[in-house]
Amino acid sequence: MAETFPTLVQCAIVAGALKVLLFPAYKSTDFEVHRNWLAITHSLPIWEWYLEKTSEWTLDYPPFFAYFEWILSQVGKLADPAMLRVYNLEYDSWQTVYFQRITVIVSELILVYALQMFIDSSYGASKRAAQAAAISVLLSPGLLIIDHIHFQYNGAMYGILVASLVLARKRSTLLASGLVFAALLCMKHIYLYLAPAYFVFLLRAYCLSPKSIFRVQFLNCLKLGSGIAAIFATAFGPFALKGQIPQILGRLFPFSRGLCHAYWAPNVWAMYSFVDRVLIILAPRIGLSIKGEALKSVTRGLVGDTSFAVLPDITPRMCFALTLLSQAIPLVKLFIHPTWDTFIGAVTLCGYASFLFGWHVHEKAILLVIIPFSLIALKDRRYLSAFRPLAVAGHVSLFPLLFTPAEFPIKTVYTIFWLVLFLMVFDRLAPASAWPRFFLFDRFCTLYIAVSIPLILYCSLIHGVVFGKSYEFLPLMFTSSYSAIGVVGSWVGFLVVYFTS
Amino acid sequence: MAGPTTHKPRRKALPKADHLSKADILIRSPTFPLAAFLWPARGSVSQWEILPLILMVAGLFRWAAGLWGYSGFQKPPMFGDYEAQRHWMEITTQLPISQWYFHDLPWWGLDYPPLTAYHSWLCGKIGSLIDPSWFALYTSRGSDDPTLKIFMGVTVIISEYIVYIPAVVVFVRRYARASGVATWPAWVALVAILMQPATILVDHIHFQYNTVMLGFAVASMSSMLAERYYWASIFFVAALGFKQMALYYAFPVFSYLLGNCIFPRLNVSRFVGIATVTAASFAVLVLPIILGTLSDVRKGVDSRPDLDGPRPPLPLFPQLANHLDTDAAYYPIIEQLVQMVHRIFPFARGLFEDKVANFWCALNVFIKLRKYPSELLQRSALLATLASIIPPNVVLFFRPRKTSLPLAFATTAWGFFLFSYQVHEKSVLLPLMPMTLLLAGKQGLSKDTRAWVGFANLLGCWTMFPLLSRVELRVPYAVLTLLWAYLLGLPPTSTSAYFQEGTSLWTQWATAFIHGGFYLAMAMWHVLEAFQVPPPDKPDLWVVANVGVGFAGFAICYAWCFWRLLVESELIPKSWTKKTKTKTQ
Repeated sequence: MAETFPTLVQCAIVAGALKVLLFPAYKSTDFEVHRNWLAITHSLPIWEWYLEKTSEWTLDYPPFFAYFEWILSQVGKLADPAMLRVYNLEYDSWQTVYFQRITVIVSELILVYALQMFIDSSYGASKRAAQAAAISVLLSPGLLIIDHIHFQYNGAMYGILVASLVLARKRSTLLASGLVFAALLCMKHIYLYLAPAYFVFLLRAYCLSPKSIFRVQFLNCLKLGSGIAAIFATAFGPFALKGQIPQILGRLFPFSRGLCHAYWAPNVWAMYSFVDRVLIILAPRIGLSIKGEALKSVTRGLVGDTSFAVLPDITPRMCFALTLLSQAIPLVKLFIHPTWDTFIGAVTLCGYASFLFGWHVHEKAILLVIIPFSLIALKDRRYLSAFRPLAVAGHVSLFPLLFTPAEFPIKTVYTIFWLVLFLMVFDRLAPASAWPRFFLFDRFCTLYIAVSIPLILYCSLIHGVVFGKSYEFLPLMFTSSYSAIGVVGSWVGFLVVYFTS
Repeated sequence: MAGPTTHKPRRKALPKADHLSKADILIRSPTFPLAAFLWPARGSVSQWEILPLILMVAGLFRWAAGLWGYSGFQKPPMFGDYEAQRHWMEITTQLPISQWYFHDLPWWGLDYPPLTAYHSWLCGKIGSLIDPSWFALYTSRGSDDPTLKIFMGVTVIISEYIVYIPAVVVFVRRYARASGVATWPAWVALVAILMQPATILVDHIHFQYNTVMLGFAVASMSSMLAERYYWASIFFVAALGFKQMALYYAFPVFSYLLGNCIFPRLNVSRFVGIATVTAASFAVLVLPIILGTLSDVRKGVDSRPDLDGPRPPLPLFPQLANHLDTDAAYYPIIEQLVQMVHRIFPFARGLFEDKVANFWCALNVFIKLRKYPSELLQRSALLATLASIIPPNVVLFFRPRKTSLPLAFATTAWGFFLFSYQVHEKSVLLPLMPMTLLLAGKQGLSKDTRAWVGFANLLGCWTMFPLLSRVELRVPYAVLTLLWAYLLGLPPTSTSAYFQEGTSLWTQWATAFIHGGFYLAMAMWHVLEAFQVPPPDKPDLWVVANVGVGFAGFAICYAWCFWRLLVESELIPKSWTKKTKTKTQ
């Protein structure tokens, strides 16, 4: 069969219809954040973009994103000029809502294009699998919840990331891959987490000779280096002229924030906090001392500053060291064995490392793991069995982002739809593996997925009926602890797959 | 589950039905996007895998559509349909049962049959558990509490998933089997039917519970397919008991059931059985009202506490009072039932209320009907309706075939919609429902049927546009109709539904020409309506144009359905159909 159905474009059209219907849905403060950035970039000279602070939602993305907002604002002034005034805080006329929501949908076309590139870059038997994976990314409940309801532009960003990853598949487009990634870094700096994998891969596959690591390909180094330098100069140059780089860096990397984000992202620190809470109850019995001041804050874990009552506190330096360490180990294999599959695996593991050990991680960052992983999840059944708990945990962990009753059916039904459909389809498409699978891992995985159903029921319905508004942290804690187990489990599973294949 | 799905089928599936037919095997790639979406499910996919997915998608689109506004949102003094439904939950939960049909009639007085009242009571009781202020007497009027809106939306969805959706799923399966259609095309048809834009727009956005009534009607048809005639009668009484609009289907139900009692041989016991079951169902339907009234009388609760002095005369048949003793124990029941009938069938209203794409509104453009006595108008409406609905029902009576059921339902409902009295724009749902069910029948997904079913649906949505645009629902209107047109490969997204091989060139050109003309007119109308203010002396020009075009299109749909019914009933020689098909269109 020349083409498998449904095609990516057909899915994009139907998904687009649903996304337009979601225009009146709940929108978070991120909507106001982006409106404010539209206003800043449109009405102020470029040198003031990173100084302006009328709104508390100051511009804290790199310059390319600011340029992107500036382009959008040129169209936005036709829709409703009032949204482009900096002092017009919390402005949300229907024109503004329609305009901003449409820009998200339109900018997501980059993702559609990139995923089509991914399908076209696959051949033979894996083409169908690639198509299924591409559709799963396009229809990802994560993107629907974060972009089209909660409001952000992740679709476009991940589109650029996927494009860059696909370009890395062929030797002839390696340079382009690196440059596209550099441009992406200048749009959203969260992708710095993936940069080590790019660095190692480009170094080994592009800058050094494939035959020997001691033979440097100087021309390639020059092309890559000057290209990246040019991109960074375009982004940061105008600001460097006025000496604003320290100001921008201060905005981009606010180290004053706490270990855990407002909600707990399902990472190692969520499990750590959970253990700490359990220990508060157990401590008197086993003779551990409890730090008094930490106990006082009842909302601990819900607000930014986390301090632990029993366990030692965590410093940003420790987070950083752990992240780097867990990124470095897979990169050794990438350096020795620089194939595309290993590269994608390494990117995924970099995403895992930063998500699991990072400082102030937002649960939205889970897409940093899921989306690269999706590209290789169908390689064989062992990859798929590592992917499964991640798909469940990652998406369930996003549920607390939407807490309004009107969006509850959308997020749950859509996520369940996606999980049922794609886990079923993936199961059929993933070829058998040449290596044996690990003992009992699949059983635990099934059990884990089954637990998600009572968990969702408890968090969304039963808790409210039993406790009303009190103990609001409980559902959040359960969700993030549950999801953390899934993410960590899939990380361990994938590490094994990565190092043994 | 409303449909008797738990029963064992009396007949085994036709052995042919589960295999792909010849035409299906020949198709190497999907001919329209909806088929592409279900393309991977052609193999041996179990229904337990595909059905939940279909139902989830249908639910998602319904719920997302429901996020938009509803009719009468923050529009005092009367608000809209949403307020009517909410108000009925208020009065049924707050007032004694004997006052339901009498309470403060100018403010959305209850004017639907008892099943709606019971349904409102149930929803109101559940809602009051969550927040009693939603349905507090008097103070809750015009409430725009956002949580109430969610609750109301949930009641629509749940009611639909309890009645309409199971009924449609079962119907599609039985109808496909009766027509010799394989499983996979039936799934495609099911999705197309569930994504029908008109029902989503009216029920989930504009707000009403039409799908409950439509669901009972489908369940009734589905029981006829399964040859369970008593269930068919019970379901149909339920449909009538929920919304009197189901009368549009009464004639084909009657003709089919009666026809099946007479042909191929007279079956008196079946006839008596059906008659008894129907009468019993009606009795059960009104029983709560009767018992409630008796109990209220005993408790001394008056049905009209606001009135002093002697009882007012009956609103209908006032001469009855001469033969009845107004103080007798049975009188309050008579009064209650007469009041109910009076509320349900508003004979006193005019020929039409709003601009509807039917014959009378279209005629009104040329001849001002108001100058004629309403007696004459009522009589001519009755005659015209009868003239349009008797022929299809005679056909159905003499040839009561399973495969022609939806056609007879659709033709009769079109006849009612076009010529009867007091038609509402939203009534177009009634002919659209059986017509859309044709997609699950023989050649249902062929270009010809798809083109006609699609044409009727898109035209139907288009005639509701003035209604929807009044409450700012242009965006969901555009999204849902265009999405459906896209899925089924219809204009304006594609012209692939026209010019298929195998039918005569004349038919193809005529269909394409007629449909093309209407689609063009609809598109032009949208452009004009959006950018051009109508001349000051004709402020309703666009609405009138909508009515005129809509009427013409619906009349053609009536003719097509009738023609198909004749063909299906083999009343037209086969050799003849190929060449002259165009003439009747």
